[in-house]
Amino acid sequence: MKTELEITAYKCKNCGRVHYPFHDRCLDCKKRDFETIKPQGDPKLLAYTQIFNLPWGFDVRYLVIGVVAFANKIKAMGQIRVDSVDALKTGMTLKASWEPIRVVDEEKIYGLVLKP
Amino acid sequence: MRDVAIIGVGMIPFGRRDEDSLLDMLAYAAINALDDAGMSDQGVDAVYVANMGAGILQHQTSVASALVDRLSLLPAAADAIENGPASGASAIKNGLLAVASGYYDTVLVAGGEKMREVVGWKGTDFVATMTHPEVEYPYGITLPGMAGMFARLYMEKYGLTREQLTAIAIKNQKMGALNPYAHVDMVITKEGIFESPDSVVNNPVAADPLHFYDMCPVSDGAAAVILCPLEKAGQFTEKTPVVIAGFGQATDTHTLQERDDPTDLKAVTLAAKQAFEIAKLTPQDVDVAELHDAFTILEIAESEHVGFFKKGEGGKAAQKGETSLNGKIPINVSGGLKARGHPVGATGVAQVVEIAFQLRHELPKERQVKDAKVGFTLNFGGFGNNVVAFVLRRSE
Repeated sequence: MKTELEITAYKCKNCGRVHYPFHDRCLDCKKRDFETIKPQGDPKLLAYTQIFNLPWGFDVRYLVIGVVAFANKIKAMGQIRVDSVDALKTGMTLKASWEPIRVVDEEKIYGLVLKP
Repeated sequence: MRDVAIIGVGMIPFGRRDEDSLLDMLAYAAINALDDAGMSDQGVDAVYVANMGAGILQHQTSVASALVDRLSLLPAAADAIENGPASGASAIKNGLLAVASGYYDTVLVAGGEKMREVVGWKGTDFVATMTHPEVEYPYGITLPGMAGMFARLYMEKYGLTREQLTAIAIKNQKMGALNPYAHVDMVITKEGIFESPDSVVNNPVAADPLHFYDMCPVSDGAAAVILCPLEKAGQFTEKTPVVIAGFGQATDTHTLQERDDPTDLKAVTLAAKQAFEIAKLTPQDVDVAELHDAFTILEIAESEHVGFFKKGEGGKAAQKGETSLNGKIPINVSGGLKARGHPVGATGVAQVVEIAFQLRHELPKERQVKDAKVGFTLNFGGFGNNVVAFVLRRSE
């Protein structure tokens, strides 16, 4: 597990809109100057699901996946480590970490992992 | 700009077609459309082929070039159109613009996909390649997963119920059982898929809160249409032409997370609005619609975003039968993607073929919307990030 979340978001210097992932121009004002920002605080859960028909590269029975919002308006998708979606509720606060999310060619791929 | 008519339509039954290659299916559908248009031994000026995945699934590219050769349509112009699950409607839009502009007089549009020859995880992975390659795909999210998140948000915001979703599945499978082109011909009941002891096995959770029967099947199939200027339609066929009265197309953010309100399908609203404005018609003028119900939630949400119902009312309307064959606005009386199947490159073309059948009044009475004059189609790419809509009308 890594302590720092390797998420870099892009805040428009003209209008303040936060982008993640990167866009060459601001989604709102179309300007091109951005300040890079990192996630702040514990994120809140915006949406979630548990999926059972998985694509290539996952040797697990199911995945729980959600979208969260950090305090500074960065929104990101992540894997949620719970046994059941019954433990989740929209709007709840989660703990975020940067951990392996899948294995490709025997190499661990890291990403956002969320836990209650 | 010239008015453009659909003068020929063709389809093949969707399903598992192990014996046919992708090119076989495209050719069969195209031949059916040429015959229907009275052009059995004639050429066309241009061909547009809608396909999403031949490069991945069949290791085959340049399918448009292959199809004109297979059909001996040389030296017609030929282009392949890839726009995810909206490839079919995008291809028709390109054909429409080519004829409307006066550049071409006769255009064949064929859409096809062969998805059943790969194992399940590979098919799921193929469709998931539409998601963002850096911030969505690595997590294992799938299109059904996105639909699951969307459905939960819709339940929380609008009070959508499990029963309303189930009403869509039951309606569309009932209609699919009457459609000889449909992949699924099995009528289902609420008792069978939710209340029987077997329901845990036959209708498991697929992408919470959505179950197996909320999903469309993975299908092989193809469909085709022939376009020409309305003023020249009579030169080819005596059948009633169907006019493409309006079209619209709009896009939305690639990732769901960057939408201000993830329950707002902006591209659906915009595409439909454009189509109705060009046609000088309104959603209330529509007699029959084909919406992109890859998941039951989408039929409900799209019926609201298109303007058939207010937000939060689509599920209730479906449950009351207002979207059934004899309801206020019949939706997916073909069975929709839910029962006809969803060979992704073919779907947008198949929707238009179905509406052409309806507006030509050619269907058996158990599937024909009485006196249908105006039809509507909505083809939904990605998770609503690229949407194409058509308003079609019967030419009197």
